[in-house]
Amino acid sequence: MPDLGSLYRDLQSSFKAQPCDLKKCGTLLAQLKVGLISAGLLVPQEEANPKDLQIARDILEIGAFWSIRSKDIPSFDRYFSQLRTFYDDYGTILPPSPREFPIRGLNLIRLLTQNRIADFHTTLESLPLPADSLTSNPYISHPINLERWLMEGSYSKVWNAREEAPAEEYKFFVDSLMGTIRNEIASCEETAYESLPLKDAATLLFFTSQSELLAFAKQRGWQVNLSSGTITFSRKGEEKMEIPKEKLIAANLQYARELEQIV
Amino acid sequence: MPADVDMKIKDDEAKKDNDTPTEETKPSVPVSPVAEIKTNVTLIERAVSTLEPRFTHRVLRTLTSLRKKLNWKVLKEAIEGVYPADSATKTHLLSWIPEVPAEETTSSMDIDPPTNTTTPAPKPVTQEPVPEAEVYLRLLIIHHFLTSPSTYQKAGELVHETVDKMQAWNRRSMDPVAAKVWYAVERAYELGDELANARPVFLAAQRTASLRHDDETQASLINRLLRSYLAYNLYSQADKLVSKTTFPTSAGNPQYARYHYYVGRIKAVQLNYTAAHESLQQAIRRAPLPATAPGFYQAVHKLSVVVEMLMGDIPERGLFRHPVLERALSGYFEIVKAVRTGSLSQFQATLAKHASLFEADKTYTLIARLRQNVIKTGIRRLSLSYSRISLRDICVKLHLDSEEDAEYIVGKAIRDGVIEGRIVHEKGWMECGGQKGGYGPEVAEVFGRRIAYCLELHNQSVKAMRYPLNAHRKELADAEGAREREKELAKEIQEGGDIDDDEPGLGEGF
Repeated sequence: MPDLGSLYRDLQSSFKAQPCDLKKCGTLLAQLKVGLISAGLLVPQEEANPKDLQIARDILEIGAFWSIRSKDIPSFDRYFSQLRTFYDDYGTILPPSPREFPIRGLNLIRLLTQNRIADFHTTLESLPLPADSLTSNPYISHPINLERWLMEGSYSKVWNAREEAPAEEYKFFVDSLMGTIRNEIASCEETAYESLPLKDAATLLFFTSQSELLAFAKQRGWQVNLSSGTITFSRKGEEKMEIPKEKLIAANLQYARELEQIV
Repeated sequence: MPADVDMKIKDDEAKKDNDTPTEETKPSVPVSPVAEIKTNVTLIERAVSTLEPRFTHRVLRTLTSLRKKLNWKVLKEAIEGVYPADSATKTHLLSWIPEVPAEETTSSMDIDPPTNTTTPAPKPVTQEPVPEAEVYLRLLIIHHFLTSPSTYQKAGELVHETVDKMQAWNRRSMDPVAAKVWYAVERAYELGDELANARPVFLAAQRTASLRHDDETQASLINRLLRSYLAYNLYSQADKLVSKTTFPTSAGNPQYARYHYYVGRIKAVQLNYTAAHESLQQAIRRAPLPATAPGFYQAVHKLSVVVEMLMGDIPERGLFRHPVLERALSGYFEIVKAVRTGSLSQFQATLAKHASLFEADKTYTLIARLRQNVIKTGIRRLSLSYSRISLRDICVKLHLDSEEDAEYIVGKAIRDGVIEGRIVHEKGWMECGGQKGGYGPEVAEVFGRRIAYCLELHNQSVKAMRYPLNAHRKELADAEGAREREKELAKEIQEGGDIDDDEPGLGEGF
């Protein structure tokens, strides 16, 4: 397949070029994928030449990075699920790829930003690493730490860690992650404080300018008192105690029926 | 009818054999393995002829103890005794058995003498036993192959041949034995270090089994598959298998216990702790006695302790004093202590100390998730003991990194409803609100949940009860008899009535 070979070299050079030519990569990737399908390598079957498989894996890995750089998350998703075959099922045949863990880590962050915590843990559990060495792999420990901090509420640590990404691509997720964090913090503040000075609110929410904060406050419906410089959170009035009649009746009927069966 | 008499003698022997476990305290003469296999074969034949799987189950129960007594000589003798002299199956089975090494003969000689007293003099066997018996013998041979690494290869070959034969026969009376064979299949693959390759075989067999309504094999196979998925950490595949299959309700308790354990593990990984806890409780309830199966009991409890803590509960202290669990759970006990006191530093130290243990139990990642629970417990304790506490102090007491962190963490705890209170940012402290009154709809809810649990427990126990087959026939017969008597009674009353009626008639006649 001389056609595939030259395309592949083309892709490699244009992917490595600084700055990377995203558009050209995209078209090349589309052509390469068609080529892979016709060669039966996109979803490898039976006995395939390990060399060919390695090239196919390389192409898909570049594709995954390319999708992140062009901010196309669904496309990353597709590339990742195709790559899993190579990582999981052909892991023993192929030499390990240096890009494997960065891509796995990116996938973990993607799950985190989409708030799919259950999937995050399932994926974490299925990583081909012993559990106590997870933290020693920089690509994997980053998302693990982020998840832990998010769960316990150490938001400032998440904020500080955004610059410590182990790979360039991780930063593409930072923005959406920060959006998630701000919303989390805001909902915490609404219940935990009665009022906050504007300046402190800005630092808590990691805003640098007051105008950003005001726009955010408006979006969440907070009452801003500019003269005294404070934000007051509207308390949801103490919920009125109400006896859930229907639920109680249903429960009692259920008990009666069960008792009938026992006696 | 020589065959009939033969059956009778063996029946008596079977009874004797069944009595021995109950009277094991006195030094009874051990039944020689050869005789045991022979009686087992007759029991299987009886099971097939009377369509009572009970007998086969009885045979399979002795499998574990019998397995340890096997050697090639025993197997050879058993096969020769069971099959008629010119049987093709016999020669085929014997071809699997290697030449008997010298030392084995001597060791079995010690057991031999009592054999002569218990087994009847060898009679010429004329009938070919049922295929189920053949599969049973094959199962014994496979198990013996699996005892030494040099014969794993042969075990694999025999396993394949046996499976092919089983599929071809397609006999429902074979199901209980077949389910055991699948266990042997898994073991053969695992010892050959290629458990992953067994999956397609299992999947295909599982489809066949579910089409044939072969519940026992199905139950066994689903567990085999789940185990294989979990061994390779393929949780999403395992979860899909669970959601796509229905575990046969007629499966035995041990299979059920295993299934619940696997489901519990999957659910725990997916953060569905309530469902995981429920499954694990079922697994514990259905598990064999702790003394007979300590390994399973310990494994389930390890997982259940972790899941319970992830749910925010603290396991009972008594659990860690259980004789079977005490040693196995010691590492977990230290974690529980750390979580209970809410000490983050102690938790981290314990986690690091027992890392290899948790890793081996595959609970490490689950336990690592407990970190946030430790913090929550700590904040909760502070909120209960102080009405006002500065963020600085919280930070020191919980070993947090900075005051800033403490503020966010407390804020999250308030939002998540862990504590009641609010933060006063200007003064840098947390004010804890008073406790809510003890009564309200939530109390009813908790109460309702508890009742639901009790009812569920009752229903599950009723379902787990076993009734002897056809026992209702007897009742029906009784009912029939009662109806008969009633009829007679009614008749008598009627006749009596006639007499009564007659009397006035008599009078009239006068």
